[in-house]
Amino acid sequence: MTDVRPFEATAARTLEVVGTAATRIDGLEKVTGAAQYVDDIDFGADLLHAAIVESPHPHARILSIDTSEAEAVPGVVKVVTGEDFPFTFGLYMKDRYVFAQDRVRFVGEQVAAVVARDPKVAKRAARLVRVEYEELPAIYDPLEAVGAGADLLHPDLADYPHVPWFFPHAGTNIAHWRKTRKGDIEEGFASADVVLEDTYRVPRYAHCAIEPHIVVGLYDRAGRLTMWSASQSPYTQRHLFAEALAPLGLSDKDVRVVTPYVGGGFGGKAGVSMEILGAALATAVQGHPVKVRWTREQEFYNTYQRQGLVAHVKLGVTRGGMITALDHTLHWDAGAYVEYGANVVNAAGLSATGPYRIPNVKIDSLCVYTNLPPGGPYRGFGYSEFHFGLESHVTRVAHAIGMDPVEFRRRNAIVEGDTLAYGAEMNPSGIHEAIDRTAAAIGWGEPEEPTVPGRKVGKGFSLFWKAPAMPPNASSASFLKFNEDGSLNITVSGMELGQGYLTVMAQIASEVLTVPTRKIRVETPDTDRNPYEWQTVASHVTWSCGNAVRAAAIEAREKIFDVVHRVHGYEEDSLYLEDEHVRCSTDPEFALALRDFVINGLEAEDGTFKGGPIVGSGTFMPEFTSTRSDPETSQGGHPNVHYTVGAAGAVVEIDPETGKMQVRKIALAVDVGKAINPSLIEGQITGGVVQGLATVLYEDMRFDDHGRLLNPNFTDYKIPTARDIPDEIVPIIVEVPQPDGPFGARGVGEHTMIPAAPVVANAVEDALGIRITSMPITAEKVALTLLAANADQE
Amino acid sequence: MRILAGGTDLVPWLRDDLITPDLVVDIKRLPGLGDLDVVDGALRIGALVTFADLVASPLIAKFLPMLGEAAGTVGSVGIRHRATLVGNICSAVPSCDSGPPLLVHEAMVHVIGSEGGRVVPIREWFLGPKQTVLDRGELVAHVTVPIPPVPRGAAFVRLSRYAGEDLAQASVAVLSLPEGEWRVAFGALAPTPVRAPAVEAALSGRQANDGAIADALRLVPDAIAPITDMRASKEYRMAMAGVMLRRALHLAETRRAGAGPAYGTAVM
Repeated sequence: MTDVRPFEATAARTLEVVGTAATRIDGLEKVTGAAQYVDDIDFGADLLHAAIVESPHPHARILSIDTSEAEAVPGVVKVVTGEDFPFTFGLYMKDRYVFAQDRVRFVGEQVAAVVARDPKVAKRAARLVRVEYEELPAIYDPLEAVGAGADLLHPDLADYPHVPWFFPHAGTNIAHWRKTRKGDIEEGFASADVVLEDTYRVPRYAHCAIEPHIVVGLYDRAGRLTMWSASQSPYTQRHLFAEALAPLGLSDKDVRVVTPYVGGGFGGKAGVSMEILGAALATAVQGHPVKVRWTREQEFYNTYQRQGLVAHVKLGVTRGGMITALDHTLHWDAGAYVEYGANVVNAAGLSATGPYRIPNVKIDSLCVYTNLPPGGPYRGFGYSEFHFGLESHVTRVAHAIGMDPVEFRRRNAIVEGDTLAYGAEMNPSGIHEAIDRTAAAIGWGEPEEPTVPGRKVGKGFSLFWKAPAMPPNASSASFLKFNEDGSLNITVSGMELGQGYLTVMAQIASEVLTVPTRKIRVETPDTDRNPYEWQTVASHVTWSCGNAVRAAAIEAREKIFDVVHRVHGYEEDSLYLEDEHVRCSTDPEFALALRDFVINGLEAEDGTFKGGPIVGSGTFMPEFTSTRSDPETSQGGHPNVHYTVGAAGAVVEIDPETGKMQVRKIALAVDVGKAINPSLIEGQITGGVVQGLATVLYEDMRFDDHGRLLNPNFTDYKIPTARDIPDEIVPIIVEVPQPDGPFGARGVGEHTMIPAAPVVANAVEDALGIRITSMPITAEKVALTLLAANADQE
Repeated sequence: MRILAGGTDLVPWLRDDLITPDLVVDIKRLPGLGDLDVVDGALRIGALVTFADLVASPLIAKFLPMLGEAAGTVGSVGIRHRATLVGNICSAVPSCDSGPPLLVHEAMVHVIGSEGGRVVPIREWFLGPKQTVLDRGELVAHVTVPIPPVPRGAAFVRLSRYAGEDLAQASVAVLSLPEGEWRVAFGALAPTPVRAPAVEAALSGRQANDGAIADALRLVPDAIAPITDMRASKEYRMAMAGVMLRRALHLAETRRAGAGPAYGTAVM
């Protein structure tokens, strides 16, 4: 690896705080209800409320909008339409509109908004906005959308600004096409003894965070725009707001984003989706705060959805059990706007080999516009989707050559130094340890009896990997300051989403400075106060922001040692910190409490004072990444910082009559590099496993033939309750250090949900002998597939 | 006009504009509607009696344990503490969990109104999805359920998408009575909860052995009319109706013999 940072000096000594299950620093306030979320903040009597006029059509031209009736409703302050905000916005490609302009592209798209003194008045008046449409043909299937003669959703595709690593195909519905080529694909299949191909389908999914999206905007009389936002991305939001509203004279310095605690994100609150409405509407009612709060229904159909996928997998293997070639074609149903989702497509297109060493590779990952809600980031960022097909296929191909699927994975798993599909080298990883410990945990290869006669028991196995998908220069920063009593305030702009990030940052600072975590506050972001962070996505904040916090703590420590050296004369390299004291390796008697000088300095022999308030700042940017590569092969760049790898396996008991599945046990091993807080990682594994199982067993987004979501609610979009979780979840932590991570840590947040779907698909086949190639794998689908299979045999 | 008791159906319907009544009458503080007692050999269940009340009631456990079994499957703990059995049959969705048990127990619905009162057998109560014989100006005061003779055994078997709070994809209620009498009703498998007289006739006078069950299962497709909706396909419902009936018959028979799993044990 390049850029090995000098943490080994500290890592070499015994770690005191890193590696322990330190108590969450935000735990008490969350348990007691003291923690504040955006909707808990009192904005006073001037607060206005917005209601959105939404498109009832999946694809239509807007002929006219009549707002006069709505404007006449008492209590209505302002009605705005696309004419007031003819602006586009977007993270990676500017293809999304603040309000629909000449056309709408999905059911639920914002066409106009009513701002009123009361939310009920706003809602009533929004119904009185008359919009005349001319319906256009709508496309929902990505394969249809790339077919000859398909209607174009974005005739202006060629004009949308985008990042340099996207390759839109103007004049088609393909917003981006990532091609990865390695070796000789024809040769690869020619040298295979068995070639297996099939198509796998993954529908759309919703994040289902407890807290729906909410934003409050205030454009004050001085021209400052302050946004209180439930967001994973305060700085990215600030920049996108400033960029979109630049025509109104706003610049980055004028925009302030405040993000208190967030009630879950899972990617849904990354970037900017509905929050653009809060920013735009605030400028329309200067001097008044205006709140836009999504209902649960809007949460489903107008934020981001996880994109649908049709994956065609062709895999060649030798009888000896080695993979010779992979041809993987991914058609993504990316929805009406792909400003964020196209990067999901990109990430998958680089990494759709899975964690395998494959000499000959051809990957085509196509981002396709459809008339469904915008796709976007969702925990796993494309990897969950392609792992379903790939890891199903790996088990099938192992069976086809008569090899144990776990043994097949052992032989082909990628290891440090292997060449990735795009030419870069694989980072250190403990994938074989993960495989072996997972297999042992579920008793792989040992038959098990059902708990009820007549049921069948199956076991499934899957590997997984994922790299953060980020711009090559995504960075983090941290400020740290000591207080009079030796306590610390740390500011960062990553988000506490429930994962325990603030606690982990406190542990890192604590490890360097020996201040206990109970004496450290890590503050949620306010862009006026806290330094830059790109976004809390990609499972990168422990790694990236952790490096920044560690750098800030080291800077503070160096200042401490400098002043002690200047006043007491000890050499700096003889000084060290212990229990909030400065000590010296050459003078065991010497001990100086931090609280005695970190603000007021040290008194020298002549009565003067040296030093002063101890503050530290730290930044981190991966300086070895690059997205410059050949668009036809993806060779030449270094787009990913590292991969986190692991394995999962489950024991599933199935009632063959009803198809009902009970996960008796599921084990998941993940190589986190270094578990800074093992308890929080076990939480990530538990949560990720349950979320992953939900997507395969229960969740099922259904649209009617008019592109309308039929189940934007928890009555019919089922996420598991406490009664629907596995009987046993076995978290397994593997620690092969990441050389450039803080104390060797790498990301883990998203990964734990990735393998759940193929694990279940493989277990169902093991138990019943049927292969299901589309998600979700509901009880109904299992029962009907089995009935059909039995009917075929008769 | 709509009556509000638990409100667990009514309030979401109001919020989603599925109904727009000119008047909503809250009956929660009206006296005399909260009875849960035995009158003339029948259990009287007042309009304000919640499913949680039924689950906790010793009278239900003693005389109508299968109704308690069904009550325990409704919604979630929170829902059961507000939702009422009478409200459930007034909402009259095809999947209502009290429908099949009340049908096999041949309950009577006691209606009061400004024109006086009337008593409606439960078999005549449901007219279609969300439709009953209740007229404007009327409300249901209580439901009476005759205590069945002994030895008896019963079972309520319910299929849903998962173990948590969910509406039934399909349900079956079976009541086994002395002298080989069987009663069978289905929920969520037709526009209303339905009795299955032909199925009952095929079982009449017989033990729930393989032959009797096979005869009964052959008649199931004609006893129901399932549709495809968000919760299940017609094909799955049709296939599961037979599986569920078989399991329910076994359960009811073993329970009548004083054995079998306790009421409330999930078998799906």
